[in-house]
Amino acid sequence: MNITKTLDAKGFACPMPIVRTKKAMDSIESGEVLEVLVTDKGALNDFTAWSAASGHTILEQKEEVGVLYFYIQKA
Amino acid sequence: MSNKVAIIASNGGLFDAYKVFNIATAAAASEKEVAIFFTFEGLNLIHKQGMQALEMPVGKEHFAEGFAKAQVPPIPQLVEMAQELGVKFIACQMTMDVMGLTTADFVEGIEVGGAVTFLEYAKDASPTLTF
Repeated sequence: MNITKTLDAKGFACPMPIVRTKKAMDSIESGEVLEVLVTDKGALNDFTAWSAASGHTILEQKEEVGVLYFYIQKA
Repeated sequence: MSNKVAIIASNGGLFDAYKVFNIATAAAASEKEVAIFFTFEGLNLIHKQGMQALEMPVGKEHFAEGFAKAQVPPIPQLVEMAQELGVKFIACQMTMDVMGLTTADFVEGIEVGGAVTFLEYAKDASPTLTF
């Protein structure tokens, strides 16, 4: 996977991970992939809901030592 | 499906501010059109000085530590972010008149309107939320 940009939103509480992700998505082009790192547990459900609302696609997600990684492709 | 979210902010404490601006910024970041109608004590949330010193509910002051630990942004920062994301602020004219306030007392970029302004906006919004 070709990652265009990485956003480190670790330590931030809702709604900041989503707000920062939205802003980062605005800065990349359609088809490009944003990597987001979050520790907010609410993000698991929030990112799924957000991708449905925004139309962007979560290509992959994983959890490693308490950090959630999302790979989101811009619509 | 509606892409509009309508919010009424009618209380003026710190917790109220977070309830309002968290939902508003989350909605705006999810590509929704968002407007907040600030009425009565809710006007405090966008008052230039008032928003700098919003109070915690009595007996809940110990949550200050939790706010800092969770890296929750201060309210003025959330207000700025909401506006940056395109959230529309409508201040209630009637309450402003009662309280002797003018647009100069509030953050830049607000609109002033009456109940009908909000109702017209909210008629096809889903959800409409009241705080």
